[in-house]
Amino acid sequence: MSIDAAGPVGEVGRHVPAFSSALRPRPGDELAEWGGPALVLGKRVLDLGCGDGRFALGVASFAANVEGLDPDEEGIAAAKKAARKAGARNVRFSVGAAQRLPHPGGAFDVVILSWTL
Amino acid sequence: MVHALREVHRVLAPGGILIDARPDSRVAAYAERRKRRGFQRFGVVNTSRRELSNDRASDRAIARAVHEGMFKRRRRGRFWHRVPFGSLAELRKYLWEHLRFVRRARWVVDEATRSRYANEPFVVRRAVRYEILERVTR
Repeated sequence: MSIDAAGPVGEVGRHVPAFSSALRPRPGDELAEWGGPALVLGKRVLDLGCGDGRFALGVASFAANVEGLDPDEEGIAAAKKAARKAGARNVRFSVGAAQRLPHPGGAFDVVILSWTL
Repeated sequence: MVHALREVHRVLAPGGILIDARPDSRVAAYAERRKRRGFQRFGVVNTSRRELSNDRASDRAIARAVHEGMFKRRRRGRFWHRVPFGSLAELRKYLWEHLRFVRRARWVVDEATRSRYANEPFVVRRAVRYEILERVTR
């Protein structure tokens, strides 16, 4: 099966390998390919390398809560702005690195590395 | 990367799952013309050597995490994803500027055909792989 990107590419994502949101599948499409919303339904989700929050916000309506973490401050600022705009109350974004997670053990049911590793 | 996976193991609850999804560089991507119905293959787009190396390093990190008993593999799969462009020139610009792919497609149609359809919509169709792993309690 093939799925389309969210929209035309334009200038977005220049000089980066493949990680720009506009170049990636829509969150709902990607989640459907993985097995559907049941994977995150009512779960505590960590989106590692969340970038501008595209995926975290996309699954927020299914999850109990979603944390997005990314070392890119600009990406996190964009994610917070998008969360405010979307009115998402169960999503939190912060700057950080995957090598030293600021969370206690067993804090999540699902960790997502979407185009991150 | 293995260090990050150890952290993932730590923050996951028992029985929790890790989803690893990324472009699948083991198969080529394709430059295709969008027709009224379906697509016509115009070229093959290979992954850059650097990204191939990065992808293999990621594969090794996952394999090591499984070998060390942090996770067990539950399910994996692949799907295709299309990145749209307004014209062939836009597609070529994308290939030239992005690091993931080699800069030029290997065309499978002649130059006259490329010129004839140059201003029509094109896509890069590429594979995305995913794997679902379950946290193992050690």
